[in-house]
Amino acid sequence: MIKKLLISPLGWLFGILLSFGICIGALFLGSIDWQTLMHSEIGSKILWDIRVPRVLLAFVIGAGLSLAGVLIQSNVRNPLADPSLIGVSAGAALGAALMIVLADFVHIQAHYYIPVAAFIGGILATVAVLKLGRNDLPGGMALLILAGIAINVVAASFIGLLTYLATDSALRHITFWSLGSLASANYFWLSLCSIALLIVCLWLPKQHRKLDAILLGQAEANTMGVDVKRLQQQSIVLVALLAALAVSACGIIGFIGLVTPHIGRMLVGASHRYLLPLSFFLGGSLLVIADSIARTIIAPAELPIGIVTALLGAPVFIWLLLREGRRLQW
Amino acid sequence: MVMSLEGISLTRNGKQVLDNISGEIKAGKIIGLLGPNGAGKSTLIQSMARLLECEGSIKINGQNLEDFSALQLAQHLAYLPQHSQLQFPLEVEEVLSLATLPFSLTRLQQRQQVKQLIKDWGIERLADKDFRQLSGGEQQRCQIARTYLQLSNMVLEGKSKGKGQGIWLLDEPASSLDLEHQQQLQKVCRLAAAEGHCVVIVLHDLNQAYRLADEIWLLDKGQIRAQGKTSEVMTEQLISDVFNVSARRIDDAGESLFIFN
Repeated sequence: MIKKLLISPLGWLFGILLSFGICIGALFLGSIDWQTLMHSEIGSKILWDIRVPRVLLAFVIGAGLSLAGVLIQSNVRNPLADPSLIGVSAGAALGAALMIVLADFVHIQAHYYIPVAAFIGGILATVAVLKLGRNDLPGGMALLILAGIAINVVAASFIGLLTYLATDSALRHITFWSLGSLASANYFWLSLCSIALLIVCLWLPKQHRKLDAILLGQAEANTMGVDVKRLQQQSIVLVALLAALAVSACGIIGFIGLVTPHIGRMLVGASHRYLLPLSFFLGGSLLVIADSIARTIIAPAELPIGIVTALLGAPVFIWLLLREGRRLQW
Repeated sequence: MVMSLEGISLTRNGKQVLDNISGEIKAGKIIGLLGPNGAGKSTLIQSMARLLECEGSIKINGQNLEDFSALQLAQHLAYLPQHSQLQFPLEVEEVLSLATLPFSLTRLQQRQQVKQLIKDWGIERLADKDFRQLSGGEQQRCQIARTYLQLSNMVLEGKSKGKGQGIWLLDEPASSLDLEHQQQLQKVCRLAAAEGHCVVIVLHDLNQAYRLADEIWLLDKGQIRAQGKTSEVMTEQLISDVFNVSARRIDDAGESLFIFN
């Protein structure tokens, strides 16, 4: 039933309306009531300059991370993989941490430079992983993951070193950033992330059956006419793009890329024809909800969104592990 | 459709896994690959499917295997691996429909083909199940059915171009099948051969191989020990020697049976 709905125009309309509804709800959630938001000058400024880009960015990043999760899990045929596995997030985090500490030393406003540094870090990490991983060798995907783990470890140790060198305020900044926040959302990042998401969405429709074939095994996919190496390379580049942009725009947001694809699979199975559109809507909506919780639950202060997604995601994930583990004896 | 191998050698970690293997697989023939564990049967069949890089040349209808694009190869060759390694919840029907991937079919045609396949193979009961929850034998049957559908599509696709036979590579397809389905497998292999396809099949059951194969390639330590008509290759002497057992072949009224001590 859900499956049929997902590939019909009605289903898309429903998904769009539901996501739209969630976004509208999120827009008007908060300490300022909707009348002030709509009718006063300062209210409309808050609405259009702060909340609209924030809610939309949450949706775009949630959808992007979720699609990145599906792509990476299918390509490495490992249900426990997520975008941070290939080192992108760690590289981006290192770039950001470096910028925070540097800015603190030379007394400049780090605010604008952090995302740029994060993006450069993320892309550099991806390039390093691709070089180290040598995806063209047989079993290359396993090598790629090992390379990702190595990059993660290297980045983590450097971040550790930087936190040791950092002043108190820089340290707080690093910690807050590494837990993720959408507070600095603006139209610049919204348009950049939207373009990346659009590229992926235009690329995906022709790939869904090829991704299904890869699930069955690399040998099977190869003999069913899929150029596995090429598909994997393209996927990695797109995952890196999505993850690096997401980390740059709002820090590290865990669990969305890992858990949403699993929730999707529980609902419609692993066929990408259904899983991809479902993950898109689910990931987007989930992050909008998580962000609304993050900014309202201890208002006027804000909780880092990474904490909220982890608190929501971890129990689901543990339950999933127990359930799947029992059924399949992993 | 002819597949020819010339001087196929493969070295893995300094060990010679395949050593100078040559041979020709003609249309309408069933070739049985026999040999003890580690003889190189799976490696050879994987090389034929271009899954492993090897020295020497493999040609399909005179065209080098390397010159085929992934898609073209899938329109000439269907391969069944030894094990399935699906980790995600795909339904049997979804797995089967992947056989139509290399061909330009409409969604409706794909669904009709899969429906017909499910009916022909008597697997209606399994159609909407999670592939991972099937037994080993059931998974095997579905995979055989999937590759057979790919093979059948080569005929349909090729008709317009004046060719349309394929090569069916089966790596131990009978390993977890019960008796009834082993016989079904034999029937399907014969049918495929009769349609003009080349069938290459790795088998462990010598009696089954004797009944099924037109030709046997007997491998031992990466080399071909004997190659030719089944009754000529599968002699008591050679089988005893290669498999390190004492084998007796009983011939009676055109049927033969191997007994081992």
